[in-house]
Amino acid sequence: MWTTVLVSGITLGSFYTLVALGFALIFGVTHTFNLAHGELLVLAGYVAYWLWKTYGISLLFTFPAAILATLVVCLILQRLFSRLREPMEMNSIVLSFGLAILLQNGMLFFFSGDYRLIRVPTFNQGLHFNTLYLSYGQLTLLALSLLVIGLLYLLMRHTFLGKALRATIQDREAAALAGINVGGMGVLAFAIGAILIGLAGPLYGCVHYLYPTAGLQATLLAITITIFAGVGRIRTLILGGWILGFAESGAVVLLGASWRELVSAVMLITLLALRPQGIFEREQ
Amino acid sequence: MLCCKRFPIIACLLLLAFWCYSTFAVAATIKIGEINPLTGRLAKQGSEIHQGVAVAVAEVNDRGGLNGRQVELISRDDQSQPDVAISRAEELCGWKKVMALTGGYNDSLVGPISEVAKKYEVPYVASASLQKQLTQRENPYFFRVANLHGFVQPLCGILSESLRPQRLALLHTATPGSTEFARDLRSCLQSRGIAVMLMEKFRPGTPDFTPLIAKLASMNMDVIVSGGFFADHLLLVRQLKENRVSPKAYIGPFGIAYESFIREMGENAEYLYSTFAWNPGITNPDTEAASKDFVERFRSMFHREPNTTNMHGYTSTRAVLAAMQNVLHQKKPLTGPNIRQSLAELDLVLPMERVAFDKHGDPHHYQHLVVQIQKGKFEVVYPPERSTASAIYPMPRWSQRK
Repeated sequence: MWTTVLVSGITLGSFYTLVALGFALIFGVTHTFNLAHGELLVLAGYVAYWLWKTYGISLLFTFPAAILATLVVCLILQRLFSRLREPMEMNSIVLSFGLAILLQNGMLFFFSGDYRLIRVPTFNQGLHFNTLYLSYGQLTLLALSLLVIGLLYLLMRHTFLGKALRATIQDREAAALAGINVGGMGVLAFAIGAILIGLAGPLYGCVHYLYPTAGLQATLLAITITIFAGVGRIRTLILGGWILGFAESGAVVLLGASWRELVSAVMLITLLALRPQGIFEREQ
Repeated sequence: MLCCKRFPIIACLLLLAFWCYSTFAVAATIKIGEINPLTGRLAKQGSEIHQGVAVAVAEVNDRGGLNGRQVELISRDDQSQPDVAISRAEELCGWKKVMALTGGYNDSLVGPISEVAKKYEVPYVASASLQKQLTQRENPYFFRVANLHGFVQPLCGILSESLRPQRLALLHTATPGSTEFARDLRSCLQSRGIAVMLMEKFRPGTPDFTPLIAKLASMNMDVIVSGGFFADHLLLVRQLKENRVSPKAYIGPFGIAYESFIREMGENAEYLYSTFAWNPGITNPDTEAASKDFVERFRSMFHREPNTTNMHGYTSTRAVLAAMQNVLHQKKPLTGPNIRQSLAELDLVLPMERVAFDKHGDPHHYQHLVVQIQKGKFEVVYPPERSTASAIYPMPRWSQRK
């Protein structure tokens, strides 16, 4: 049972990280607290669902359309957020809250309040490793999440653009003085964030289900993991996702299903009290 | 010049005419209010209740209204939030002066509305409410067409008489209705010698059931009863299949018996058990014609098949309208206390149930049927006198299915 719980925790944690990555990157670079993050994810899921249901397009080929849709919306959002004045965090919360409601009602209008599920028959099959069973759904989730996280890590660590992004996350003013186009980095962060959301959205429609207000849960998750890991740290973001995923799964087995959310809430509050800079972040 | 001098007089006359028209036009109609979650997390269910309410009002108006007066339905959206539900109820009862209230989904929304209705002495017939506490508050203006007993009795019956599981798991969500359902079902089963081996609570909308499934598998549960909702079943059943956990029966009283569930789940919905109070093909005995009329009217208005939630909205509204009709027939003034009295004495046979309320406002005859999905259709498997097919038990293991 515990191997199942461990695998479930890691799979779920990896997906949590994928969901949180876009949020953390946008927040780190632009200081925009995007409360509409979850709604964008659900929107990407709906685009994939619509293509799958209407035209019978397989899940794999719905990703480009979902990414394109979130890219367009995210770049519009970036234009709106860039007009905000300081304090950015507070103003962006107000603006993105309004946008989240707008997106929710838009999705309610176009897709109705029905729960939608993208069915991938192969996800129900799987592989046996002694007593451990891994469904293709779990494997896809794990592999795709790790691949994307790995690629983003390489981008951030080994390219000039990534270094510029990291510099902007660390200190916007210093980055600007060093000649980095901070505004351009904001656009780039939104674009990368859109790609990440566009990848996570269709998967969300497969492993979870879609409905217009489902985004709230994803937003809270993204905020939790970002706080958990500290802004702009991809390696710790995935560790944070795994710890959270495993803690939730373990709580269900040891304490009962009703303790699941309480355990993650207690962990978050404890962390905020003891290590507000994030669990793996060094104190400055 | 002359025209300019007369302009204020003409404007006043126009305003007066408009006021007279609107006043008399409004006086000619009978206003009823409905409050449903049309947006937010309960938008799907709230919209379905609203559609049922709209059908009932359209039906009465097409028949000439109540004693020749058309019924005006004033709809409000509570956004799935109790505080908004209160403000909408205040608006309808205090300002719009509706004669009665109907609709409502979920006890967290119905409860606050019922308190406002009591304050203004406006009768409220809730469409979908389960929590026992709501009818124990001594609120003479609150009635409902559903209750927990209607779910618990048939499930307790099929489990104790037909399925008789050795190892039963009872899951429920952290909502008042689902929690009470689980407690009542457990005590009923225990009184009939069926032990509940595991009782677990989870939050509606839980993102992953895999750890819970691992626990169920380790305890070798043969029947799972889940008091989750539509979306929870979508995920839990799919993850049961992904993890190759095959119980002998999976029973979800809330949220499975919908065409949309079969549509979204596809073949994975086969053999699942659920309950409903009504379905287009399965209606209260001797109400076939009324049921058919409802289905046809619903199709013409909304271009799809109605479901049991739509019927709950229709039933509660028909109860309100019938009570008003009785007051008018008795040539009494249409007031809150008179409508309330009429509701207390109501005995009306409708497709979903024979509507009659006890002294607390609970329905006397609300009873669900246990159904199983067989070849993509709902077949009634309990009670025996209304069954349309035999239950397939145990359901085939996932590995045995195509």
